[in-house]
Amino acid sequence: MSGFGEMKKEFKVFLITDYEEEGEYLSRMHRRGWKFVNVTLPGIYFFEKCTPEDVVYQLDYNEEGLNHKEEYIQMFQDCGWEYLMEYVGYTYFRKPRAEMKGDEKIFCDDESRLEMLRRVFQARMFPILIIMFCLIIPQFIGLMDEQRGDRWILLILYSVLLALYTYICAKFGVHYWNLKNRLKS
Amino acid sequence: MDAHIRKVYVPMTETGFYILLCLREEMHGYGIVQKVEQLTDGDIILSPGTMYGSLSKMEKDGLICFVREEEKRKIYHITELGQEVLDLETKRIERLYRNVKEVLG
Repeated sequence: MSGFGEMKKEFKVFLITDYEEEGEYLSRMHRRGWKFVNVTLPGIYFFEKCTPEDVVYQLDYNEEGLNHKEEYIQMFQDCGWEYLMEYVGYTYFRKPRAEMKGDEKIFCDDESRLEMLRRVFQARMFPILIIMFCLIIPQFIGLMDEQRGDRWILLILYSVLLALYTYICAKFGVHYWNLKNRLKS
Repeated sequence: MDAHIRKVYVPMTETGFYILLCLREEMHGYGIVQKVEQLTDGDIILSPGTMYGSLSKMEKDGLICFVREEEKRKIYHITELGQEVLDLETKRIERLYRNVKEVLG
């Protein structure tokens, strides 16, 4: 068929807390007739032209699963989820809505959603916090006292980094508390 | 049973409860998904991410144990500790049920 086999690239930035948004983005693309093929650093998504279809995309973060990859992927395949790939610790799965009974996701309760957030936090946020407290903040404070001519460039760079890290931390916090509160109510 | 187990598993999630209930017989993860679907007339479809996470956590905490692998699927069975937790939880649910009956007539 003409048009099929056509490829398309899109650059898109998703923070480590935005795994749900990323899945929704891939689903949206598939509904428009662009099937997800690959993603590479620093966030270039590759799509192949296809028949538009309602397909649910989901990302899991499970290091233990990746260490036992065969049985991990088997479990998802048994439940009808196609394994796609891994990218920076996340595993990508998809399942056509037509094959679902109701509204299916790879997690069926908030406890396990919270567990996944914890896994992401431990593996990815914790190192960021260490870098922030041990490197960036001391450097930043040190630079304030220095009289070097290039210090403004560095100060701006560090400010941007600090702002970004703070933003990611805040997003993490909001996500975490929302799930926690939903569990309590 | 130590305080940690009690704190984490009592009361437990519906997924956790069904896993323990099913694993009185040897079974793999997808087997549990199918069994629960059948037990609940299709109302509860356990998801693979939730299943995988719960099974590895319960194995680590000693509530279930790995028996063998069959065609890339890990087969588990409940342990004595798991049975204790299941009994506790069953008693709690029975009381809940009795109380609902009493209050609502």
